[in-house]
Amino acid sequence: MALTGRTFLVTGAASGIGRATSVLLSRLGARVACLDIDEEGLAETRRLLESGDAHNFQVGDLKDLNNIAGWLSECVKSLGPLHGFVHAAGLPAPWPLRGLSASMWNDVRLINTEAALILTKEFHGRKIYAGDHGSVVFISSVMARVGSPAAAVYSMTKSALEGMARSLAMELAPRGIRVNCVAPGFVRTPMLGRMEALQEPGYAARLEALHPLGLGQPEDVANAAAFLLGDAARWITGTVVVVDGGYTAQ
Amino acid sequence: MQKEKFYREIADILEVDDLTDTDILANYATWDSLSILSAVAMIGSRYRVNLTARDLRSVATAGELYDLVAAHCYS
Repeated sequence: MALTGRTFLVTGAASGIGRATSVLLSRLGARVACLDIDEEGLAETRRLLESGDAHNFQVGDLKDLNNIAGWLSECVKSLGPLHGFVHAAGLPAPWPLRGLSASMWNDVRLINTEAALILTKEFHGRKIYAGDHGSVVFISSVMARVGSPAAAVYSMTKSALEGMARSLAMELAPRGIRVNCVAPGFVRTPMLGRMEALQEPGYAARLEALHPLGLGQPEDVANAAAFLLGDAARWITGTVVVVDGGYTAQ
Repeated sequence: MQKEKFYREIADILEVDDLTDTDILANYATWDSLSILSAVAMIGSRYRVNLTARDLRSVATAGELYDLVAAHCYS
């Protein structure tokens, strides 16, 4: 699976699934534009990328939807037109109804869902899109398809992402752009570490038990994203690849 | 940080009418893992204090919980 000559943007590239995806794409020969709010984490990703200097690194907060067009233009200036992107940036929202207020989920909605829409809008234009082999991948979650206490807000944003992907896939098929989601189960990432810290003791063991193949690694999700970006997935659009160690098979 | 307001917010999570300094949280059947996670979320959002479930389990009374949050607010 080679991606030589292709150029992709990865959001959330400073850690977890975004970092693993960036590293894998670089090893497959792609040029990678890495975007994240975490400058220190991005520097570490740069160190891990194959031919680290051949890529583009930008610090930005995806909540600033109005800046997305500018970041994509910078990617094109630096690396040339894009063939696609992976939206891996996301915020957790482990909030039961009783602790919930309307002001809490704005950032989650902006980053998990709306940024994906604006990224796609800006990407598909002729100044940004390379014009062929187009592929967009949104990192969704098993929480878009199964329920869990304290996950309503997170599920809302990830379900919206999957619905959006189907419609965008229909709208962009004539331009040769495929749009898909990868829905991971629980993956050992810094986000999961922060979630564990919030929860009762034993949370990690309970999560592990829900996955017949154990908790995932960021690389497990990156492999699926890279597959969807490449030509081996050229007849796949508007769907969700579930990568969850058997979590949703039960 | 107003103690009365804080108690009202925790009472809402516990689904009781009111709380006093000496009320023992564990005596409420509703002080379960979801309530604790709700309190963690509320305290983080409202008071910008990031606590864990373990932190909240470490206090016994409503007054101690207020003191814990207040200490972080003013530190």
